[in-house]
Amino acid sequence: MKHLLSIASLAGMVLLAGCAGASRSRALGDPQVPGQALAEQVCSNCHGQRGISSSENFPHLAGQQADYIEGQLRSLRDKHRRDPAGFVYMWGIARNLTDAQISQLAAYYAAQPAAAAAPAMLAEPRAGRQLFNEGLSERGVPACAGCHGDKGQGNGAIPRLAHQQRAYLLRQLAVLRQSPDNRPMGTLMNSVAHQLSDDDMRALADYIATM
Amino acid sequence: MFDLLARMTNRLVRGRRVRVAWLMAAVAASWMAPASAIPVFNRQTGQNCQACHAGGQYPELTPYGRMFKLTGYTIGSRTQVPLAMMAVASLSSVRNTSKSDDPSADFSKNDKLVFASASVFAGGRIADNFGAFLQYTFDPYANLDASGKYHGHAAADNMDIRYADHAVGAAHDLVFGVSANNNPSVSDPWNTAAAWMQYVPVPSPSSSQFIDGATPYPGYGVGGNTSGLTAYAFLDERLYVEAGAYRSTRGAFGFMKLGQPTSALTRLQGNAPYARAALNIAWGASTLMVGGSTMSSRVYDDPAVADPTTLHRFRDVTIDAQYQWLLDPHALTLQAVATRQLHRYPDFLAGQVPAFVDAQGNALASTSTSDVLRLLRTKASYTWRATYGGSVSYFDLSGTTNTLNQSSGYDPLSGTITTSPSAAAPSTRVNGNLTGNPRTTGETLEAYWLPWQNLRVGAQYTFYQRFNGSARNYDGFGRNASDNDSLFVYAWFTY
Repeated sequence: MKHLLSIASLAGMVLLAGCAGASRSRALGDPQVPGQALAEQVCSNCHGQRGISSSENFPHLAGQQADYIEGQLRSLRDKHRRDPAGFVYMWGIARNLTDAQISQLAAYYAAQPAAAAAPAMLAEPRAGRQLFNEGLSERGVPACAGCHGDKGQGNGAIPRLAHQQRAYLLRQLAVLRQSPDNRPMGTLMNSVAHQLSDDDMRALADYIATM
Repeated sequence: MFDLLARMTNRLVRGRRVRVAWLMAAVAASWMAPASAIPVFNRQTGQNCQACHAGGQYPELTPYGRMFKLTGYTIGSRTQVPLAMMAVASLSSVRNTSKSDDPSADFSKNDKLVFASASVFAGGRIADNFGAFLQYTFDPYANLDASGKYHGHAAADNMDIRYADHAVGAAHDLVFGVSANNNPSVSDPWNTAAAWMQYVPVPSPSSSQFIDGATPYPGYGVGGNTSGLTAYAFLDERLYVEAGAYRSTRGAFGFMKLGQPTSALTRLQGNAPYARAALNIAWGASTLMVGGSTMSSRVYDDPAVADPTTLHRFRDVTIDAQYQWLLDPHALTLQAVATRQLHRYPDFLAGQVPAFVDAQGNALASTSTSDVLRLLRTKASYTWRATYGGSVSYFDLSGTTNTLNQSSGYDPLSGTITTSPSAAAPSTRVNGNLTGNPRTTGETLEAYWLPWQNLRVGAQYTFYQRFNGSARNYDGFGRNASDNDSLFVYAWFTY
């Protein structure tokens, strides 16, 4: 019944297609288009409706810290963030966003219910959990939980990690290890990532996606 | 390419009244020079090609590229000059050019680097719900005069104009729209669609007649440069449906055949209905589509004469599947298409006594009233870092045997297989068909390199196990299928 009603309401929207206006616009250079419209009409094509991506290639945004999203969108708009995924997919999308649209987008995604935990790759992701909660003292790696929160929920400009796409986490850890220039806002993570082996990263990504 | 195939077809049926032969139907899809990534979209969104094209290998679309297309090319900012271009230079080399009466005609420009084609694109976002993709292509080798000199010609190519919207509800979302286009399935977002699976433009000179782009590809009986109106919907990026109809291009749609000579057009009687459905499932880095399409059409034998006694009736049914695994820097695509075409002939072609006879001089079986063609085509491609890639593809065209489709055979006067114009039934070398069976099978291997996103350099080698029904002596003059094995090297530039 719920589905029928949803489809019926969609049918109603179809009838109103001609009156869509800015609320259903895909214009990226128009400051009148609200952030939610951009999220639903443009961002959703990779990040999923309501910020839960169906592709491992793209991060979930639902439930992400608003300050973090805002900072990243500004960094992408101003071409400060230069990792391949950043410039291939996001420079163009972000290039004409206004500060107001960026704030609206950040608030929209922060308010969406976060993705559910991914199915566990390992029965007991002990190595990842230990790394996340305790770090690696012998290599000077601090606990991830110290900044990202004990549940990986993030804090302000520090991103939520919990249940993030595994492949995305791995790629970003590799980017952060490679050069601080690629993600200037992640400079702090550069020295951390340098101390992590590929196995450490995989263990972390497995745990974070399922924690 | 239209002209190349028209020339091929004319050679195939030289001396007969047969104008629409099985070959024409089988390769109908490849009549349309493929369109490609168009940098006007890139300028509109500011994104790299690989955002929309899997591994940057245009024209194959990513899930995002499909949504960009289905939402009417409207994502982004309208560009001030909504134009783009592409140009292709290539070299084709046929393995054996010796078994020919006239190698310079049968394998024109063989082993020579040629400027193969160039296209201008216009399009992109026009308004919030309105966008377009328009391609106009110049073929430097479109026409060959009596002195053997080529003349270039420009004409309308693939075109797609859309009204689209995207409704987002609490639990479902729906992309829906209408497309006015000039080639059945050019509106389709998957690259197993007949209009899109063949993607490297094929040069017109006859040395390119056996390269991958000229091998059998899925297609519809109507070919291109018709005008159609289709409506489509994509629910939750899961279920895609599209339906519409195509007609002969005229009136307000005239620009969709601009520059095409009448002889290259398809003239349809009434509406040719087209329908498409597909199920799309995404998980992890994977996307799987399984779908099908169908079309029915009535095509006049001669596009210049709307004579209802000369109608060919086609019914095409296709099932297709595409799997993509896109996880940067990897882009893997697997494609499979199976088509079945029923072709019913007009009375003046069906049940006729063929001009050829058998080796003993006896009459051959009368021509059939219909033919069934089946095509299986598969392809696997992989691209790394949107820079290096390769593909392997397989094609298998099979179908019924029909003396109507013979373009080689024994001449009743001389009792030999001869190309002599004075023969009652002259045969055709190189393109001839001695058996009346269409079986053509082979593979293509390809490697390509994208040094930067505007340039693709590639090499393809196509192997044939069978051609026109036989592995050996398919034309009656000793030419074997493997003699047609071809190397094709190309550089494809877009801006």
